[in-house]
Amino acid sequence: MNKTSSQRLPPLKRNWWLKHRFFKLYMLREATVLPLVFFLLCLMAGMVALVQGADSWQGWVGFMGSPVVLALNLLALAASLYHAATFFVLFPRVMPLRIAGRSLPDNMIVAGQWAGVVVVALLFFWLLGRA
Amino acid sequence: MNKTISVKRYVPDNAAESYWQAFELPVDDSTSLLDALNHIKEQLDSTLSYRWSCRMAICGSCGVMVNGIPKLGCKTFLRDYDGEIRIEPLAHFPVQRDLVVDMEIFLEHLAAVKPYLIDDDPVKPFDPQAPETYRQSPAQLARYKQFANCINCGLCYSACPQFGLNPEFRGPAAIALAHRYNQDSRDHGKKQRMAELNRHEGVWSCTFVGFCSKVCPKHVDPAAAVNQGKVEAAKHTLIALFKGDEMNGEGKAHE
Amino acid sequence: MSKQAMSKPGSPQAASHQQAFDEPLWWGLFSAGGVCFAVLLPAVILFIGVLLPLGLLPADALSYERATALLFSVPGFLFVGAVVCLPLFHAAHRLRHGLFDISVGRDGFNKKLMYGAAALLSMLALGLVVAGMLS
Repeated sequence: MNKTSSQRLPPLKRNWWLKHRFFKLYMLREATVLPLVFFLLCLMAGMVALVQGADSWQGWVGFMGSPVVLALNLLALAASLYHAATFFVLFPRVMPLRIAGRSLPDNMIVAGQWAGVVVVALLFFWLLGRA
Repeated sequence: MNKTISVKRYVPDNAAESYWQAFELPVDDSTSLLDALNHIKEQLDSTLSYRWSCRMAICGSCGVMVNGIPKLGCKTFLRDYDGEIRIEPLAHFPVQRDLVVDMEIFLEHLAAVKPYLIDDDPVKPFDPQAPETYRQSPAQLARYKQFANCINCGLCYSACPQFGLNPEFRGPAAIALAHRYNQDSRDHGKKQRMAELNRHEGVWSCTFVGFCSKVCPKHVDPAAAVNQGKVEAAKHTLIALFKGDEMNGEGKAHE
Repeated sequence: MSKQAMSKPGSPQAASHQQAFDEPLWWGLFSAGGVCFAVLLPAVILFIGVLLPLGLLPADALSYERATALLFSVPGFLFVGAVVCLPLFHAAHRLRHGLFDISVGRDGFNKKLMYGAAALLSMLALGLVVAGMLS
């Protein structure tokens, strides 16, 4: 308890992450939530429109089609896929799965998660895509 | 063939500020960075200070920044570098002189997580007639073996921006070692360590940047250990919530 | 906790040397939201954010009547929980840590701001579904 505390350096400057490609990719991963938040707010606006009535809903669909909104949501789509690519590989490292004492190979867990993405997309196609 | 390496010098006796010094030296395919530093010290400038011992990536003392990335000097070969080679002391640690850093803070973090077997039973005198040994199956060994390969070189601390942003963060190697003992079937110290890990400066400062695991010369994967530690800390919290009596941590009774 | 070996009385460490019993909750919500963001959101954004406004879905796929029927239901309630609420907490967690990474604001305040906003927006989103179900 009376041990002298060791020397401490001042904290890193806020631009530390610009020094390496690895840190830039990390910040890009963290920044995927920015377009996500934009899309979620759009989605909630759509829910409000749905509560208000048919005209509001049509108005919202039109709003979603305006070039800037569409571009930002395309960015959100790309962000969700980049997030998925970075997130899936972390899963086996955070929760290594063991079945009958053997650990499941990492690439199997990653592949399983991508299969989940495809299944959800197919589900949406089944629900909304058929004429 | 000759190559030039630039070394960041800091000699507090002579100059208050650090400065760069370039050395040109002969290299071949087998020249490690440590060989190069030894050549500089013996042939070119005997005032250069750096740490080294084993030359074979087991003592963990020759860590330096090579072009901004933490590396062991003995495991880094100049044949892999075509352009400039900039050598700096390990990042995020106070520099004492040239490439020698003060690692005291790392040792403090290491000691804080009790990286040794903790047994509930008091030590029994050794009886040669009936020696008692720990038993451990290969499956039990496999649970922690990877995390036991740490050589305490500190490269992961230089790679960790969260440690750079907040030196109170216990950091990759200390938490990996805590996890190593928590996963050990012979150990009973998990509750004591969880009190240390389940703090803001414990596992919760980590944002899984993952660079620590990239630079680890022994493939320990400290980032995985820290994040498995988050799962353990979450379990620890649930248990504490249901029991209600351990909210102040287990550390008290043992200190 | 003041007996911990590293902390000196009165030092900033002593004050922060306490168990972080709230962090497992935020991290749990962050992780669950991360899974939803990765597995569900690509399809949701593709269909609702891109194909719908471009008119590439069948005309009645998300007409007012169909959208109302789909959303204002128990599955719709669960859909909003997984596609809006959990990803909001995921985003809140990353934004909070991101602000710390670029040294903006104090973590204690950012934490309240981010998780508070996520909680408010989540309640609003779920409330909209309930309102739609009742009307």
